[in-house]
Amino acid sequence: MNAREECVLQIQNLQVSVGSAAASTAVVRGLSYQLSKGKVLAVVGESGCGKTIHALSVLRILPPGAHITGGQILYHGKDILTLPAEELRQLRGQKIAMIFQDPMTSLNPIRTIGKQLTETILAHKKCSKLRAQATAIRLLKKVGIADARRRMKEYPFQFSGGQRQRIMIAMALCLKPDILIADEPTTALDVTIQAQILKLIKQLQTQSNMAAVFITHNLALVAEVADEVLVLYGGYCMEQAAAAELFKHPLHPYTQGLLASLVHLSGPKPTHLCAIEGYPPAPGMPKEGCPFAPRCPKATDKCHAQLPPLFTEGAHAVRCWLREESK
Amino acid sequence: MLKYILRRLLLLPLVVLGVTFLLFFLTQRLSPEMRASLYIKDPRQMGALEEVIAKYGLRDNLFKQYGRWLGRALSGDLGYSQSANMPVAKAIKEYLPATVQLALVTIVLVVFFGVWFGAISAVKKDKWQDHLARLISVGGFSLPIFVLGLLLLMLFYGKLGWFPPGGYSLSTDVAIHLPSFHHYTGFLLIDSLLNGNIKIFVDVLRHLFLPAFTLCLGSFALMVRVMRSSMLEELNKDYVRTARAKGLTERAVIYRHAGKNAIIPVITLAGIQFIRLLGGTVIVETIFDYPGIGRFGVTAAQQLDIAGIMGFSLMVAVLFVLGNLVSDILYTAIDPRIKLNE
Repeated sequence: MNAREECVLQIQNLQVSVGSAAASTAVVRGLSYQLSKGKVLAVVGESGCGKTIHALSVLRILPPGAHITGGQILYHGKDILTLPAEELRQLRGQKIAMIFQDPMTSLNPIRTIGKQLTETILAHKKCSKLRAQATAIRLLKKVGIADARRRMKEYPFQFSGGQRQRIMIAMALCLKPDILIADEPTTALDVTIQAQILKLIKQLQTQSNMAAVFITHNLALVAEVADEVLVLYGGYCMEQAAAAELFKHPLHPYTQGLLASLVHLSGPKPTHLCAIEGYPPAPGMPKEGCPFAPRCPKATDKCHAQLPPLFTEGAHAVRCWLREESK
Repeated sequence: MLKYILRRLLLLPLVVLGVTFLLFFLTQRLSPEMRASLYIKDPRQMGALEEVIAKYGLRDNLFKQYGRWLGRALSGDLGYSQSANMPVAKAIKEYLPATVQLALVTIVLVVFFGVWFGAISAVKKDKWQDHLARLISVGGFSLPIFVLGLLLLMLFYGKLGWFPPGGYSLSTDVAIHLPSFHHYTGFLLIDSLLNGNIKIFVDVLRHLFLPAFTLCLGSFALMVRVMRSSMLEELNKDYVRTARAKGLTERAVIYRHAGKNAIIPVITLAGIQFIRLLGGTVIVETIFDYPGIGRFGVTAAQQLDIAGIMGFSLMVAVLFVLGNLVSDILYTAIDPRIKLNE
């Protein structure tokens, strides 16, 4: 990462646990990264690897039972984790906005979308209701909702899934935030709609030069939008590199496995589909050693016994003992 | 919407027919002599028993008698209530407003406090506020109404003399029967204000308080529980997380979003409770000697006043259907996803 670029979000050694103090399980175990203005970081991982939990930590909207147990989340150098309630509220939605996975349940079912949009604006800006409505209508048009003025009065159930995600995007962008966090924004959508929504987010992100964190389990999607990729596994960052570099030279066996299991529509038809053997570990497991070791084809005794540190080679970081040997 | 309402209204005669026929059938289990004896005030006139039976056709078959009652009821004549000493229609007109008034005040109290306590209970789950609200609601639920009513009567009337039993005091009784007092609606609370008579208003309210409070505690417990669980469910939903992520104040998140959505099941429950109150304030009206329709029903049943019993049950059946309809309509007003005609 270039030092001259303005860093908007910096996460340092973030630790998140679930459960009571007596029986807590670490789900994010020391995550660090930096995000610069105008850049897109993709956080990739399987279910349960801690990617959504880390995103919710940034806005401090973790579900009851989950706690941030350590680390810092710096927004322009200010630690979000120690912000007082009112400052935190002003940050949410205005400086850092979020799009969620399921647009079907993420909107209030019995509130018109017009109200849901304008209340977001009015929560942060001192302006008339009419001004807020005008802004909301403009944004709806921008995200591709036809007949926006009339549809402001409609309820979420009167929109399709793709349209609802467009509304969520409009809602996230209505205060021109610095950072957009998109938590699997296309997972719940139809495959044909996925590309449209993705293009829309990317286009709006480029237009306003926002920084964005894209959380996904879909590597193919990452290639299209991300500048940088962070691969998460078992709550640890396994590999982090510029997107092009990662796709060309994946260093971690897990990343290599993920890339190998992608199916390409172009090129010769594969004779069989590749998969990574086994299942992702339960949250917080294993207690020691590399979390990927049980599934890793190249694992040694050392991998099972001791957690590898992040080895960095330029801008490419890998958590794997194999890198130590190759040095 | 209109179609739905019409369809429901068409159902009304069926329900009424069913209820009244069933009741009529039950009253026929009494011998004609027993039913005739109501008309004879003086034991020395017992010889006239056969005359009465013949006059009212009490030995005719069930369907003939029911048909006769129904025919008269349809033309607006519900018969003469021996127990109330006036025509049944007049008795209902006289006693129903007092009960509606009592039920309305009760349901407003129940919904207000039920929603309030339930919401606090959910938001402060497992904190002392939650425990307190649950303790009060379980306590109110476990105390039988007749025990609670008598206790309250003993304390607030017997010891403190604050809230007297009955519907109103003697001075009010005199005042409202003066020709200068206009009965615009039949509801004394409203009429007294329309007449500009605050003294009567306060007097009626004082008499209303104890029965309303007693009725309230029973329904209140259920309301708190429903509101609490509904609110807990809503607070865990994704849209609440979205509302927080947008930077809304915690107040707006809890009340404008989760609270409003959590109230939907409470509305239905309130509708059902209200109807139940209209027909079921019997015990409370008896304890507090409140001049409502429940007391009329009880007296009619005790004295085998068949015209009174039939009139009372007819009224309850009609109210039940209408009340359910109103509750359904309220539902659509608050939840846009529900369309009645579908």
